[in-house]
Amino acid sequence: MAWLHTWAGLIFGWLLFAIFLTGTLSYFKDEISHWTQPEVQVHPLDDGRSLAVAQAYLQQQAPNAARWFITLPDSRDPGLSVMWQDTVDPGKRGNFIEKVLDPVSGQAVQARESKGGEFFYRFHFQLQMPHPWGRWLSTLAAMVMLVALITGIITHKKIFKDIFTFRPRKGQRSWLDGHNAVGVLVLPFHLMITYSSLVIFMSMVMPAPIVASYGNDSRAFFNDVFPATDNAPALGQPGTLLPLLPMYEQARAQWAGGHVGRLAVNNPSDVNASVNVFRAGADRVAHDFGSTVSFNGSTGELLRVSAEQSLPAAIGGSFYGLHMGHFAGPVLRWLYFVCGLAGTAMIGTGLVIWLGKRQLKHAKTGGMPFELRLVEVLNIASMSGLLLAIAAFFWANRLLPVSVAERSDWEVQVFFIVWGLSLLHAVLRRGRQAWVEQLSVGALLFSAIPLLNALTTSHHLGVSLATGDWAMAGFDLTCLGSGVFLAWAAWKMHRRTAPQPKAERARPLNLKSEAH
Amino acid sequence: MLLAWLMCYVGFTALCLSTDRHHGELLHSKPSPRRRLGLRVAGGWLLTLSIWPAVAATGWAQGLVEWCAVLMFSALLLVLLLPYRPRLALSLAGVGLLASPVAAFATL
Repeated sequence: MAWLHTWAGLIFGWLLFAIFLTGTLSYFKDEISHWTQPEVQVHPLDDGRSLAVAQAYLQQQAPNAARWFITLPDSRDPGLSVMWQDTVDPGKRGNFIEKVLDPVSGQAVQARESKGGEFFYRFHFQLQMPHPWGRWLSTLAAMVMLVALITGIITHKKIFKDIFTFRPRKGQRSWLDGHNAVGVLVLPFHLMITYSSLVIFMSMVMPAPIVASYGNDSRAFFNDVFPATDNAPALGQPGTLLPLLPMYEQARAQWAGGHVGRLAVNNPSDVNASVNVFRAGADRVAHDFGSTVSFNGSTGELLRVSAEQSLPAAIGGSFYGLHMGHFAGPVLRWLYFVCGLAGTAMIGTGLVIWLGKRQLKHAKTGGMPFELRLVEVLNIASMSGLLLAIAAFFWANRLLPVSVAERSDWEVQVFFIVWGLSLLHAVLRRGRQAWVEQLSVGALLFSAIPLLNALTTSHHLGVSLATGDWAMAGFDLTCLGSGVFLAWAAWKMHRRTAPQPKAERARPLNLKSEAH
Repeated sequence: MLLAWLMCYVGFTALCLSTDRHHGELLHSKPSPRRRLGLRVAGGWLLTLSIWPAVAATGWAQGLVEWCAVLMFSALLLVLLLPYRPRLALSLAGVGLLASPVAAFATL
């Protein structure tokens, strides 16, 4: 089993590191988006006012649209988002126009174009590849991750005996201890996140049950699972849409005070207008895609309340909910983040151990065979390089002029350009030096982000802390913390580059069967 | 969530002290078989019982998730503190032991 753990972990480790790190960032997707679009002001939440503002705006801007969508601000995402679709082409998605409104003034916010947290979220399962391929590759990586976890458990025999053991400052031994500690202690999270990612894409990965019951008509399956709220067609007679607030209140009463996430209005100007009120995903652990209350828009009559989830849907929804963590409050969200970092660290330490063990054989000669050098370069670029790329994304967000065409794409370009440069740098420099230099630059970039934010916007820490804008302040402080951590890591690496007593380096390491 | 966290942390510290190696490192002595058993039983019970405040506060679905998170985090914290700040790790457990009745009284 050990060989499987070793090789599966190595081949997919670089990709999994990126997936885990960007996925971990996605727990703060809304907070990252808020930082990347500081123009969106934070106001105290008032759903009644937000709804009235959104309805007035849409009535004025898109009275004859086929559909409206209104996403209410919440404690994490301060923007009131409205979206409309002029015509509905069956079988085609798109032609949506989206605006973020200020929930008090009702004006569209002129925010800089940025994908923000959405970029990291999309990247962690689509990998910036054309449609099905990124999802396939990340799902394959998830399967390999599951294999690596299970073989890791089997390989690491002394799980309970060594559970509290971490011995730092002992070279390879410490890396292995650390790998085991973050692996074992956070194992429930690792298993949950890996397995649930497979559940989320199960219809893509294991379509056999669907094909067996529905034949080639997979659309029918999805219609059954997600009952397309089948809305009355437009009659072509003009009608007036009632205020949305009473419907919102009725829906909340149906859910015993549960929260509203989104509203969809079909044919708003028609006499047959219909309003679907969707429940917020943050309300419960088990995610329910179809939790809706439907109304007739021009009479206000309650048409339908969606049924309770079936058991399989509840199980699937639980895995989805657990993976996404939409329900998590601030404390639990941070714990999710810490668990995600632990998973990232587990993958990273595993990659370091693989190389470290094999490098020992070549320590005396000083040379390194090509394949080890390749692993070293990929280790550096995939770990410290990715950190640089993430920092560069945030720098680009603040430094690219607002008027640049396709600005949000340029932010993404900067991310990949810097990542590519880090690979080039790792090729050109010797291993340790490359690590030290990249970690140092990363430390500099991250710890300067609060300063950059203060210089380019009016939302610096003094303001955000004073006004209680915790997402903005938390982002700055987390970047500062990451910068300090990277500086510490660079310093550690640098100290180890300094010549050590030969005896210590050549001391036989007692790793034997545990580290393969 | 605080009470569950305190109980988990104290529970893990007890389990940790029930091993010869960590007992020796932290308290510079070998535990007697009775003490070893006592620590193990106490640790196990504390970890099991800590489900209750978590579930009582937020219900089964969210409570169990929070309990798992707190369980993992407290173990991770203990293991990271042990080699660097062993005395802090122990005194944190002591504080936890003293504070948990207060936390229990405040929340329940």
